[in-house]
Amino acid sequence: MLGLLDDVQVVELTHSLAGAFCAKLLADQGAPTLKLEPPGRGDAARHEPPFLGGVPHPDRSALFLAFNTNKRGITLDVTIPTGRDLLLRVLADRDVLIESFAPGYLDSLGLGYATLREVNPRLLVVSITPFGQTGPYRHYQSSDLIAQAMGGFLYTTGRAEAPPMGTVLEQMAIVTARNAAIAIMAALLGQRLSGTGQHIDVSIMEAVVSTPPNFIHAYSFTGAIAGRGFGDQTVMDGMHLATSDLEVTLTTAGTGGNPMETWAAFLHEPQLLDPKFSTRAGRARHWEELLTLLQGRLAQWKAHDFMKAAMDQRLVVGVVQSPEAVLHCPHLAERGTFVALDHPEAGLLQYPGPGFLANASNPAAGGRAAPRLGEHNLEVYADELGLSTAELAMLRAAGVI
Amino acid sequence: MGDNTVLQGIRVLSLEQVHVLPWGTAFLADFGAEVIRVESATHMNDRLSGPFPDNAPGEEWWNEGGTFAYWARNKKSLCLDVTQPQGKEVFLKLVARSDIVTDNFRPGTMQRLGLDHDSLAQVKPDIITLSCTAYGHTGPWRAYGARARTVDAVCGLSALTGYEGGPALRASSNYMDHSGGLNVAYALLLALYQRRKTGTGMRLDLSMYETGVSCIAPALLETQRGFARPRLGTAHLWQAPHNVYPCQGADRWIAITVATDDQWRALCGVMGEPDWAMETRFATILGRQQHRHDLDAHLGQWTATHDAQALMHLLQAHGVPAGTVHTARDLVADSHLRERSYLEVFTNTNAPAVGPRVYAGRPFRTLPDVPLALHLVSALGQHNVQLLRDVAALSEAEIQGLVEAGVLATQPRESTRPAPGAAAYQAGDLRGDPHYRAAVQTLVDAVHQLSGTHQPAGQGR
Repeated sequence: MLGLLDDVQVVELTHSLAGAFCAKLLADQGAPTLKLEPPGRGDAARHEPPFLGGVPHPDRSALFLAFNTNKRGITLDVTIPTGRDLLLRVLADRDVLIESFAPGYLDSLGLGYATLREVNPRLLVVSITPFGQTGPYRHYQSSDLIAQAMGGFLYTTGRAEAPPMGTVLEQMAIVTARNAAIAIMAALLGQRLSGTGQHIDVSIMEAVVSTPPNFIHAYSFTGAIAGRGFGDQTVMDGMHLATSDLEVTLTTAGTGGNPMETWAAFLHEPQLLDPKFSTRAGRARHWEELLTLLQGRLAQWKAHDFMKAAMDQRLVVGVVQSPEAVLHCPHLAERGTFVALDHPEAGLLQYPGPGFLANASNPAAGGRAAPRLGEHNLEVYADELGLSTAELAMLRAAGVI
Repeated sequence: MGDNTVLQGIRVLSLEQVHVLPWGTAFLADFGAEVIRVESATHMNDRLSGPFPDNAPGEEWWNEGGTFAYWARNKKSLCLDVTQPQGKEVFLKLVARSDIVTDNFRPGTMQRLGLDHDSLAQVKPDIITLSCTAYGHTGPWRAYGARARTVDAVCGLSALTGYEGGPALRASSNYMDHSGGLNVAYALLLALYQRRKTGTGMRLDLSMYETGVSCIAPALLETQRGFARPRLGTAHLWQAPHNVYPCQGADRWIAITVATDDQWRALCGVMGEPDWAMETRFATILGRQQHRHDLDAHLGQWTATHDAQALMHLLQAHGVPAGTVHTARDLVADSHLRERSYLEVFTNTNAPAVGPRVYAGRPFRTLPDVPLALHLVSALGQHNVQLLRDVAALSEAEIQGLVEAGVLATQPRESTRPAPGAAAYQAGDLRGDPHYRAAVQTLVDAVHQLSGTHQPAGQGR
């Protein structure tokens, strides 16, 4: 690994996917990251189907494996006094604590920010919750779908004449995690200068509001309420169109402002030059006719051949790729996007990198797969905190770790 | 974070356009970096994109757009033609006194201009460069371009997204711009952190495609073990009820997601334990999942008799996760966001006729709250003279020479005004709110009251 953050000690005490992904972003850049899980069941995501290989197992949840790379894992029950004291010892020389309890819960355990700051004045405490630490919704329960709904993303997705559609795989958690990682990096730069930490409040709902297409200021400028259906009639600019194998999507980009002339020439379809298709409004009005014309031509192509031919002429198109196609994409292979990580239970798997190369290499190359439950208890509690084997045995017997 | 000084002293030269890169550098600007948009007087995409007040571009439309104000806030504007030799010379003088140079041209453009990482490192050895492209600078697809929606397709997200039993549909018109932009900000902050530790610069090659791929990691692991996720719309692989349900009014919805038996019993209690809900087939998670279509139909009949917002409060009060499907209008009026001072109101001082408008804020804050940052929205070329004089150390005569040579500008080269409504905001089926001015004004007043500086309310044009 490149190890850009190899001097940033992170502790993750979250039961949320946003918190887990945020810690993963830091861990993938080399931050020594300790994931604390409740003894017994561990992180809730360990129990989320689907399980790799089909058999339920706490080390085989794809969601858990994907969101927890490059972390070490220990178990700790922070809700009991012994666990609380151990947590304070763990936090004494760390830089960042990421937590996602309901607002006020850590205070009720005697682990509020004021206490943590006394133990470690430079600690950055990052609280990632569905609605933030304040405000009337702060105790409301949420989920990724509710986050999509409350933050305005959901209303704008799908077809105009159908219910809101939404999207998948915890994207609201991911977008929140990316915002939180940005906040942490800025705070770290400040911490390294001032030596003091802070308490950062991250709201998933607010991260979602800042994600849709600029719709807050659009409303305030024009009264427009962004809705669904933008893709319903945009044959030339976003609709998914069949080829002889996969679907593709066209755009009018790269056509020098003459989309229909350019596409008519490329597809050898002179009927696209009909004046009724010359404006965006005209294309929307006659979209079914336009679709029929295009489908006739696109049926002669295989999707990836079409993409190559069009992109070579600087047109901008996309192929609707399945996850399997992405996994086997020759472009990504040449870029070294995927990182192979072995896991004793889940086996050797290819994991995507962070989305950028630093000095021409994938910064997350190497590294380790997600920890098994309590995998690093001995390493952390005995080797690093100096607990004796007898003490460890007592803690285990009492269900603290 | 939280305060707007943490990046003070960091200078960023950004050859940026459209969405993804401006969104990324906006974070650095908010944190106090001096982010300089190096703008072209001919390619005005960002400044053309609106929205303009009531979709009517004004005389100086290039300084008036809402999206421009949102993505370019707190940045300076240098309208400099770097494709001319004199412009390039000045640019390199600025590079020598800068920390970061970013671009989102297609790969090859910066090399052609002699402004690639290696060339810039000769002028400034510890320079950090970030090039934000569709597919990156290496690999067989490197020359290809993208829009957020084509990335949505290529990265695998569209294939996973869609109504149950229906075709693949893209997840969003521009989620991939936002994801890429967030990744830009993260990568740049990582590089700054590294440089403070080691004193060395960095070359960042950021790809929208690969950022998209990083968003679907679980599905990529699943496909390696032979599992293909079905498209389920707003339904869930193992939870039920988990969907959106109609409420009173036109196109009003509530999302309800029940993950446990306790939550199900709580929901039944709120509904008054109707006969259908008491059926044994709905008593267990397995039963609810198996019969979820019937369950959704029954539940939808019940929700349809309720107001979405009132029902959310009722269900949440009983421990049932539920949330209103909010529109932009709902969010501008939302009491929670208002209490948290999340939405930002600011006036573009370079377009006073536009008046104060509402923008989405940042989802993170330091506790206790710090005051909102002031927002500058730069006029085209507003900082030409200041930057060339104070940073590049040019004389007034030299600057004047550049103006006369057409290397510097403060107005668009071609003055084609965007047609009213033509560059309007495009995001689907637009339903206009005739009462939006009052809603916006309410928020403007509330924000001014909070900040204790009541300003005269501008109503735009």
